Amino acid sequence: MGWDPAEEHPEIDALLAAWALDAVMSGDEERIRAHIEDCEDCTEELARLREAVHRLDGPPAEPAKGARKGADKVGRGRLMAAARAARTGHDAPAAHAAPYAAAVASLEALLRELDGTPARWGTPVVHDWDVQGTVAHLIAADEPLAERLGLLPVTRAEPGGTGDAAPWEVRWAARTEEVVAYEHTRPPAETAEAWRTQAHGLLELPEAREAEPAALSTALMGRRLPVADHYVIRAFETWIHTRDIGRALGLVVPPPPPVHLRRLVALAVRILDLALGDGARPVLLAVEGEAGGDWVLGPAAEPVAAELVLEAVDLCLLVGGRLTPQEVSRGQAGDAAAAQHVLATAASLAWL
Amino acid sequence: MDRRTAHSSTPPRDEDLHRRLVYGDESALGEVYDAFGGLVHAVARTVTRSTNAAEDVVQEVLTHLWARPYAFDPARGSLRAWLSMLAHRRAVDRVRDAEHEPGAALADAALLHAALTELPLAQRQVLHLAYFAGRTYRQVAVELGIPEDTAKIRLRAALRSLADRLADPPDPAVERGI
Repeated sequence: MGWDPAEEHPEIDALLAAWALDAVMSGDEERIRAHIEDCEDCTEELARLREAVHRLDGPPAEPAKGARKGADKVGRGRLMAAARAARTGHDAPAAHAAPYAAAVASLEALLRELDGTPARWGTPVVHDWDVQGTVAHLIAADEPLAERLGLLPVTRAEPGGTGDAAPWEVRWAARTEEVVAYEHTRPPAETAEAWRTQAHGLLELPEAREAEPAALSTALMGRRLPVADHYVIRAFETWIHTRDIGRALGLVVPPPPPVHLRRLVALAVRILDLALGDGARPVLLAVEGEAGGDWVLGPAAEPVAAELVLEAVDLCLLVGGRLTPQEVSRGQAGDAAAAQHVLATAASLAWL
Repeated sequence: MDRRTAHSSTPPRDEDLHRRLVYGDESALGEVYDAFGGLVHAVARTVTRSTNAAEDVVQEVLTHLWARPYAFDPARGSLRAWLSMLAHRRAVDRVRDAEHEPGAALADAALLHAALTELPLAQRQVLHLAYFAGRTYRQVAVELGIPEDTAKIRLRAALRSLADRLADPPDPAVERGI
């Protein structure tokens, strides 16, 4: 015979456990059988491993195959009912508010990871905010829309003295500072609850459920936009800060589902186009990925000066201030200055 | 051939399910139930020997995934293995809590399953996929993105630990016999 049992011993030895578990490939079986005929060590080892598998199996179970099918359906219904009760608490929102509902669900789930480890609320996140501070910032950031739509405040942070005459950025930054400072005087769980109350309050309003009231324009944070768009902006900011918190905690926050990401991209492109104004030279922006699309930014009548290719998530991170024009990976052709101008303007939107 | 191999590694599906679970998409939970509910049930039934207990574990495990989607990280293993391990741990805890079950064979099995929960994560993952989910070592390797030899070696290490435990159980009477 052409083989030496001793030579192939290590290879077979490595396969014995897989064989005992019935996890080998079809060709392996013959080789193992042929080897163990002459190898006492392997025969013994196999018996030992098989005994372990046998003990894991336990005594043979009474057959219950048919019953499982019925139980399966009941179980599915029970699970879905429990899931509905555990997570949302309100009906499905309209399409414009669905990204916000999803982003809120994602942050709620992330904050659940902090249950039982209160110290992690103090993990530094971005700027000089820890996790609690970042959630407090979201309370402040959601507040203008909540207030405009008639909701009661969820934080008792005293409004400061910036006055209504100050530019919105100044008032907005001051409000965040007040809320962050106030929220740090109480337990993180209360901050989370306040954020959650306001977020769910927003999602229960008719403006989140129906297209008609959401079509009304209102000026918030320097932009006059339909209420529906303000909901999309809330989704954008909630996702970006959830991502920030996830990074701080070492947990990967996936980007929003494509159908939601598409809305974020479309809004980002519209605001970017407005910011570029008529003076800019037209640039073709090709957004790649499931949520992608092509847009011409700038005056449509003129010929396109440059092309810019960005990934959908990267465009959002650029607009959200989480990637710089230097960092963002892109494809670029044509007039470099025109393309650069678009990137710089996107980054300067400083949405968050 | 190479292209097919690259294509057949399944991670995108786990990632997609995870993403939808994170963002509260109920339909993703339904798909997880349809794909893995049977496995979770079988794992729990093997350990608890009870269909009712197994149904409860199915609910527990999938409700946990829904409430805590970030507890699963698709970069660190497959959803199949993760659910199987979680179901197994919950089932072992149940048996441990109940404790009123007599019968030496049952106690033996329960002890061995308890030992299984203490194996290193890398060994537990492969053992769950091969033993409970019925994967071959090649499927295990593809699913976890590890070389086949690594899968075999981990299976061996895992099963040897359990066999050693059988040979040397924490029972004074048996120890004296040896």
